[in-house]
Amino acid sequence: MSIQKRRITRTRTVMLSFLLLCLLFLNGCGGTKLTVRLKENVEIDKIKRIAVLPIENLTSKRFAGEYVRRTVIAEFLSRGIDVIEPGEVTSVLRDKGVRTVSEISIEQLKEIGEELGVDAIISGSVGAYGISRGVSVSYPEVSLHLLMIDVSTGNIIWSAWATEGGPDFWTRHFGAEGLSLSETLQKVVEEMVDTLY
Amino acid sequence: MAKRYNLFIVVGLLLILLGCSSTTPPVVHISPDVDMSFIKRVAVLPFKNLSEDRNAGEIVREMVINELLASGLVDVAYTGDVMAAMKRQRIKDPTSLSSKQIRRLAKDLKVQAVIVGTVSKYGMVRLGSISAPEVTITLMMADAGSGSIIWSVTLTRGGAGFMARHFGAKADTLSETALKVVREAILTLYEY
Repeated sequence: MSIQKRRITRTRTVMLSFLLLCLLFLNGCGGTKLTVRLKENVEIDKIKRIAVLPIENLTSKRFAGEYVRRTVIAEFLSRGIDVIEPGEVTSVLRDKGVRTVSEISIEQLKEIGEELGVDAIISGSVGAYGISRGVSVSYPEVSLHLLMIDVSTGNIIWSAWATEGGPDFWTRHFGAEGLSLSETLQKVVEEMVDTLY
Repeated sequence: MAKRYNLFIVVGLLLILLGCSSTTPPVVHISPDVDMSFIKRVAVLPFKNLSEDRNAGEIVREMVINELLASGLVDVAYTGDVMAAMKRQRIKDPTSLSSKQIRRLAKDLKVQAVIVGTVSKYGMVRLGSISAPEVTITLMMADAGSGSIIWSVTLTRGGAGFMARHFGAKADTLSETALKVVREAILTLYEY
């Protein structure tokens, strides 16, 4: 085989290997899965003050709901939104005789919102919060559902469901350190709130 | 020349296997004589949970609510309102409602249809040496006027793909699998 032919073969082999590697990379691409609905004709900039209700915990982790609530509050505060102190929200819920947040009706939400003097209320649930075992490695998994209810109309103006998890390419193949559980939660919340502002 | 063909065959096979899926199509029923366009607002009732995860019913219900809202097809009654209406109508088991109860509940919530569901599987299953998520759900929509089922879908998804099993590609998490199932189920309504 001449030198030229060998070079061509080598180039083709390199290109094919590159193609296969690209395919593997593409297969490894994950990222946050996010589904959002933002009601049309809603002026989100007018919402300056909100209250975050206790987040319903649907996981086996004891304080997952509270972790999520704190992260959501911190995220909204970082965007310049005024958030009512969680203790004040709990106090109003107690006064109204609310035992579980999943049973609060829209009418009650409007009353709670008016009493707290907020423009909107955030409620939600956490469906996954923990370390899951994958095909070959363990990884953090977080899934959240958040809703924003307009206090003046009682309409759901924003609904977002997001999940993040699974080890990335580098973690799976080279054992690189991936995101921690808290970092994953922060990333999910950040990407959800990004859809609003 | 033969070597080149072999290489193409290998690449071709890999691509075919990548595209191969052993997924079963959803079992769908849509009442032919019903005009879905008049359904503008629905209520999603708590789902029956037959899985080992005690919160699976509620997790999938939240996904269904969000997917319906995100699709822009219909508006969804707030879950707290649904619970309050169920209490008012003295409904204890939302998965076995009579036509009369469906009509009363729908009138109370001002919805044109009611969605009930069952989560049969929600968890990780062992497939040889690896674990993979598996989710099976059934969703049904009952017409508020007649109380009859106008849409029903059953589907299951899960397992680790070829690339995940053999080349360490990213496999879906349990939440991602559940999202796929719910999205595909809602899509059958969307396509209609």
